Amino acid sequence: MIVSSSRKITSIFGAELDKLVTLPLIWRTLIATFVLNLILVAAFTHSALQETAGTESVLNTGLASMGYLQAGFIILGILATCSEYTGGQIRTTLTTIPWRGFQLSTKHLSLAIMTIPVAFIIVASGVLYAFMMRDTAEAIKIGTMIKTLVGATGYLTLTTLLSAAIGALLRRTTPALVVLLGYYFIVSPLSRDYLPRIKNFFPDTAGSYMYMPASSAEINVLTSMQGTGISMLWTLIFITVAIVFYRKRDA
Amino acid sequence: MRAFNAELSKLFSLPGIWLAFLIGTFAPPAIAALDSMAEKKDIIAGVSTRLSEVGFIGLALGVQGIIILGVLAVSSEYLTESSESGGGNQITTSLTAVSSRLHFLLAKAGAVTVISILLSIVAILTTVSVTNLILGEYAPVFETSKLIGVVCYWTFTALLAFGITILTKNGIIPLAVLIINSSVVTVSYLLTKVTKLAFYLPDLAGSDMFISDGFHTPFTGSLIMFAWVAVLLIVAGIVFHRRDVAS
Repeated sequence: MIVSSSRKITSIFGAELDKLVTLPLIWRTLIATFVLNLILVAAFTHSALQETAGTESVLNTGLASMGYLQAGFIILGILATCSEYTGGQIRTTLTTIPWRGFQLSTKHLSLAIMTIPVAFIIVASGVLYAFMMRDTAEAIKIGTMIKTLVGATGYLTLTTLLSAAIGALLRRTTPALVVLLGYYFIVSPLSRDYLPRIKNFFPDTAGSYMYMPASSAEINVLTSMQGTGISMLWTLIFITVAIVFYRKRDA
Repeated sequence: MRAFNAELSKLFSLPGIWLAFLIGTFAPPAIAALDSMAEKKDIIAGVSTRLSEVGFIGLALGVQGIIILGVLAVSSEYLTESSESGGGNQITTSLTAVSSRLHFLLAKAGAVTVISILLSIVAILTTVSVTNLILGEYAPVFETSKLIGVVCYWTFTALLAFGITILTKNGIIPLAVLIINSSVVTVSYLLTKVTKLAFYLPDLAGSDMFISDGFHTPFTGSLIMFAWVAVLLIVAGIVFHRRDVAS
């Protein structure tokens, strides 16, 4: 049967999206992330109200949980690719879609499409909560707010895609989880202290400039656009490496 | 005893366990080395405020390896094999061989404890020697009581991970929660800003065993962490005893 190539891509894309949406673990992860993020934001707002007596901006409080929030999205990315390898689903997938490069890129694309709205909702809910809890009616520029929210969403999406690529490279959930969480939560915060010169070129530090409001206290070396660029470059490199390995390797 | 040997052999043959050993042995000295190098100038000038924690920060963060060990010990039993090799769980085989669930659990916990004690001793040896190598005569004195605290902290953390994984049966959740919570700025540390009760959480109470000027004395810290471990293991034991294997 001859199928036109645009039709082919649409149906591959539909299949990948369908597989993602029907993974029960993904929904559990997302709901848990949403709830935990709200709890964390509540804790941050509470302590900010107590200590600094309202000197910190609402946006900072609402986004203070970003460091922990990204863990949920790392898990999401790993689950998306590693679920193929638990129980040999990958062989069914490759039987129906024998174009490996296409298959993995559409997987990342559908993951991105799924992540963007979810990340936006979760980030926005955190900021909204912090906004509601603050009694001081602080005037926030809508423009800055939207820019920050979009930046945070973009950062979370890039992190998810990066984790998915690493998951596709390592093919097992536990090592991928250990490597990524270990990097994001141990290695990276430590390297910020010990290697201050090159820290800006790591994917997470560069990415964090995407949503960090420019403050005078810290020296923001990168603009948000530079941060986005570096972070995107890392993600693309890892996706490319993952695709190259995926095409060469025995499934 | 035979169940214990079997558990040891199962643990050593897990592919992921080598990652745990690798992290457990090399991460603490590496972090301690980086920290010593960063602090060296201050220490020699005599103005460092963190002299007493230099090596211990590596040991506090190196607990990652032990978390992996505790989680994998249980989650590997519940991993469903691929449908091509029967789609079974290892746990059904294990419980066929050792039919008493209590014995099975005790043997497994014993194996985890023994390995984590050994691993922590190795980590302490490498970390202390690396710190001494870099700082030379300025190296802090590693008190024996604090080092015993580190061994206790590692073992208790391994057992906590073990207990949580029995309850969840899936490795992802405990691994994520525990790794994040042993990171540089932990969630429980943030919680202490909200409520003083957070000082009674197992990781903070446990780290008082070897970090100076903590909220608790080292002895109370160890008691609190031990109470957490004991309660968790008892709950896990009851749940494991009553749960259907297939569910």
